[in-house]
Amino acid sequence: MELERISVVLRPRAPREALDLGAAMLRANAVAVWSAWFAFTLPVFVLCNALGVLLGLPWLGLVLMWWLKPLFDRLPLYVLSRAVFDRPPSWCETLRGQRQWSWRSTLAALSWLRIDSNRALRLPMELLEGAPRKLRSARWKVLRRRIVADTSLLTYGCLQFELVLFLSAWLLGAMLIPHEWRADSFGDFFRHDVRDASTTWMLLAAAVAYLAMSAIEPLYVACGFALYLNRRTQLEAWDIDLAFRRMRTRLQALGKVLGVLLVCACVWPLSSHAATPAQASPKPVATSLQQVFQQPADSGDQRFATAATETYRDPRFGGEHTTHEWVFKYTPKPTPNAQPIPFPAFGNALAIIFKALMWLLLIVAIAALLRFAWRWRGRLMPMPAEPTSALSQSMRASVVVDAPLPADLAGAARALWQAQHQREALALLYRGCVEQTARLLKLPPSVDATEADWLRQAAAIDDPARAQRVIAIVRTWQFAAYAGRYPDDAGIEQLLSGWPVEAGASA
Amino acid sequence: MLDTVREIETPEGIALRLRAAGALPRAQAWMVDMLLRMGVFIMAMIPLSLFGMGGNGLAMLLLFALTWVYSVVCEVWLGGQTLGKRALGLRVVNADGTPVTWLPSVVRNLLRAVDVLPGVYGVGLVSTLIDPYARRLGDIVAGTMVIHAVELPAGQQVPTFAAVPLPVVLAADEQAALVEFAERSAQLTPQRQEELANLLTPLTGRNDTAAVRQLIGHANWLLGRP
Repeated sequence: MELERISVVLRPRAPREALDLGAAMLRANAVAVWSAWFAFTLPVFVLCNALGVLLGLPWLGLVLMWWLKPLFDRLPLYVLSRAVFDRPPSWCETLRGQRQWSWRSTLAALSWLRIDSNRALRLPMELLEGAPRKLRSARWKVLRRRIVADTSLLTYGCLQFELVLFLSAWLLGAMLIPHEWRADSFGDFFRHDVRDASTTWMLLAAAVAYLAMSAIEPLYVACGFALYLNRRTQLEAWDIDLAFRRMRTRLQALGKVLGVLLVCACVWPLSSHAATPAQASPKPVATSLQQVFQQPADSGDQRFATAATETYRDPRFGGEHTTHEWVFKYTPKPTPNAQPIPFPAFGNALAIIFKALMWLLLIVAIAALLRFAWRWRGRLMPMPAEPTSALSQSMRASVVVDAPLPADLAGAARALWQAQHQREALALLYRGCVEQTARLLKLPPSVDATEADWLRQAAAIDDPARAQRVIAIVRTWQFAAYAGRYPDDAGIEQLLSGWPVEAGASA
Repeated sequence: MLDTVREIETPEGIALRLRAAGALPRAQAWMVDMLLRMGVFIMAMIPLSLFGMGGNGLAMLLLFALTWVYSVVCEVWLGGQTLGKRALGLRVVNADGTPVTWLPSVVRNLLRAVDVLPGVYGVGLVSTLIDPYARRLGDIVAGTMVIHAVELPAGQQVPTFAAVPLPVVLAADEQAALVEFAERSAQLTPQRQEELANLLTPLTGRNDTAAVRQLIGHANWLLGRP
């Protein structure tokens, strides 16, 4: 067997997919298969039915044709096996070729193996491999191992198909018969019409069955053969075998090319070495490209030419390539570049106007950019300190936390208040209040006490009136500091008089 | 070369391979569907028979749904697979490989009325046997086809050998063949492995077991193993 000549794509398939490959093989070789099929089976069909009629047993033709199926199976298998590995034979060749195949297995299939659901797979094994008897059963065990279920399903599927075609023919006939010619019922039809001319009907049934068998039996054989091919591809890696053979051919061709190149590479330095001692004088320094490349590489260099030809024989460097690429179906028409202008003067004027507009636009854009930069000039810098405005140095000193409180707290606060520095005035008041409270409660000075802390401390003051005043001052400060809500002049006056601001005063 | 694959090239230049499913797997899937639907109908008839005429009406509705709606709903919502097709690993797709949508599905299932014609799917069978992609008339009209959805049986793991760099640059299909050999070598007999490896003596420069080992080493190298 020459695997290189196979004409189907080999790859490991699921058995179900292999069945489809069988159908494709049959479709591709339909003429060869069916010409051989009818050349052999049609005379047999006529003979069997004639025998049946002569013996007075009209059903004999039908049964005999069914029984002889394993004999007929040899024909499609012969055609397909030759077509897959070579070319499809003509029907004469097929009929003559049957002598090459042993009849023993066919006799077995016709007798005790007639009801065997694995016939489709057994057929190629026995006829194509022709192994001796001892080996055959071992071979059969290996071959059928994973696919015996699929083979049986194939048999039942084909049986079903045959039945479908047989019934379809009858039903189609029934559909085409005009209503008034039909029997009243199926019962009537079989009781009268069929019984009156039973031989005719039987022969007709045999003919329809024969046609259905002719359609499906080659499919059965082809599918079995495809299963067999697929199983052997699995077992023996035929697809890898093919790929390796192709690779081997390519590598051997490549080896020749490499050999030639190697020879060239060896010969070249030798020749130059031979020439070197003769020119003892230093080489003249090449000054122009012409001198460097004195001889173009491809002119008259015989060895290079042969090597190049050899290389181009490699399918990867030369030869014909089929490439697929996407091309516009309708090439877009190139738009004419320079259209003559209908009114040159008008066009020029328009051009000048638009050019002027363009410059104007540029100027406006630059001006806008400059204005933007000027307007935002300060914002991008790090924020400078809060403007100190007119707050005097001494006043600021009194507001800052670390500075000691002024002796006249009420006066300082009042001065700040009247100078519209309300926030600072309240801050000073708050600080003074806090300091007085701490002194009253004999608390250590703490920097991290919050307003809420002082509100709590106020509860510890014995005198409730004083406590009320501390709370009032803290609250006032909180409102001012966090909400920007300031008391009116009367309110501030009330807070500034009496205890904590005037240290000695009572509440 | 003969094959059952329909190759479709997308506008991006990607080749999709649709493995058309033939008459036999499709008939088997149909049988599974048929038995399922018959089972459902019979099970539903048992309670419905208690309701007299109303039950009959409901049974008719059920029969209609099982005949006409079942396939369409399954194909659109279950990824192109009725339950029978799912059991057999088949799938309905548009002829360009995209998932089947409402209109093609409805068309192909309505045209069952034609495919079923002499009463036992004779037209459908003949059409499936003749068409190269095994489409019945409904498929041809709707622009759909039935394909094998399950992936091919995968090879086994490539055995881990020390990687051997390839001495020459190989084409993509040749590299694939080497890796395939390494994957499937466990399924082959040792004699067959050596026979195959001896084919590549020009590449390995070795024979028999050493050649097999070196080829598997090459495959390891191709797979980027250390």
